[in-house]
Amino acid sequence: MSIRERHQVIKEVGFTGIPIVNVENACSSSGSAFRLAYQSIAAEIYDKVLVLGVEVMPRGPIPSTAFRPWELASGFNVQPANYGNLTVRYMKSSGATLEDLALVTIKNRKNGMLNPKARFQKPVTLEEVMQSKIIATPLRLLHCCPLADGAAALILCSRRKVKNRRRAVNVAASTLTSACYGEGYLDLVDSLTYPPAEGFVSLSARQAYEETGCGPSDIHIVQAYDTVSPSELWDLEELGFCAHGEAHRLLRQGYFDLSGELPVNTDGGLMSRGHPLGATSGGQLCEIIMQLRGEAGARQVEGVKVGLAHSMGAGPNSSVTILKT
Amino acid sequence: MDNIRHTRPLAEGFWTVSDGGLSLLGHRCASCGEVFFPRRKHSHCPHCFRQTLEEINLGPEGCIVSFSIVMIAPAGEFYRGPVPYAYGCVDFPVGVRIKGLMARDDLDTLDVGITVTLTVETLYVSDEGMHVETFVFKPQKNAERKSDEAAKPHA
Repeated sequence: MSIRERHQVIKEVGFTGIPIVNVENACSSSGSAFRLAYQSIAAEIYDKVLVLGVEVMPRGPIPSTAFRPWELASGFNVQPANYGNLTVRYMKSSGATLEDLALVTIKNRKNGMLNPKARFQKPVTLEEVMQSKIIATPLRLLHCCPLADGAAALILCSRRKVKNRRRAVNVAASTLTSACYGEGYLDLVDSLTYPPAEGFVSLSARQAYEETGCGPSDIHIVQAYDTVSPSELWDLEELGFCAHGEAHRLLRQGYFDLSGELPVNTDGGLMSRGHPLGATSGGQLCEIIMQLRGEAGARQVEGVKVGLAHSMGAGPNSSVTILKT
Repeated sequence: MDNIRHTRPLAEGFWTVSDGGLSLLGHRCASCGEVFFPRRKHSHCPHCFRQTLEEINLGPEGCIVSFSIVMIAPAGEFYRGPVPYAYGCVDFPVGVRIKGLMARDDLDTLDVGITVTLTVETLYVSDEGMHVETFVFKPQKNAERKSDEAAKPHA
């Protein structure tokens, strides 16, 4: 959406002279905006800041222009194909199979059945995933998240101005990283001579853990970035919840189920909610907050006190937020 | 009727034909050894920040690290080539990973670990009848899958 359109959203509510800043950071946009709001409150510049993620998506594949002109003319802007390349490498290095990838979709669509705001609220079977149309090998339609229009809003408030402390949720960490040198990500072109010692997703998670003083084992629920089903698996590994190559085994054991040791994408994730780019990470945070408040209804996980949300995207950017009761 | 085939490259300076045949053109940093494709517009190395980039031939062949066969037309109308098509990454022995299209007639023989040779194909014919050419990677005939080690990046 353009700047003018975003201002119009607020105009409908009524202009007040309060500054409005448009934050464009691809799929991490609202996570990035959340971080800027958090920083301005931490710096005692403002007491209350509204973070609003709003997106109206075109139909069909995303016409990403985060590529050079010759790359666009070569057809390199097909994100499922870029993820397809990463998936080929991931399957080879991790031992995950196409069926493992399908199980991510099945889990998330099952969670989505319990989310009245999800775009898709019906489950899918293994056969349906494995027989859905091929988009870009090895990924099929049901390995890819659907697009959706969407909006998410969060109000951040300084500790001294909070009126209802019982329902308030604490921001424990909010981090944002860009690519480390040598890391290709969706550009696919990694440095062979100088590969990064640590990737930008792992870096954003490590910074968040250092900010909070807690580690992956202290997290109760996770909103991982399931833009394609394999990305949830490598995301969980990069975020430090398990070793490389272990996520698909834990998935099969039910570890990431709603009733498992570490429920992941409790609201159905992008697979069920859809992916309104600018609103996506705000939506992830809303789910964590509902779970922390015990207001998640049929999908409520018992005893949630700490939740982590991760989103990443073109740029590339990686944003991690840890919220606590 | 003009029977001469008019061609133009998709982008200037990506490849060269010399005595050794077809080769991609890149930059190597004389200070740190990092290799880039395509050649960089600016003279500094984004790895070590020194202004010591030298032009080099990257060679005619490499090994497929990953690829994807695309079954849908890309959005945005930037791409005018055929669908399905494939693109992926090829590691060149000189120490650089290069993203490129795969030869259009060989989609069935693609595999991780096989050796591919550089060639030039018409990507599309422009409205003015110009054949717009680009470099592509073509699996070698009777290409045998190398060991998994060969598909891994050079340390």
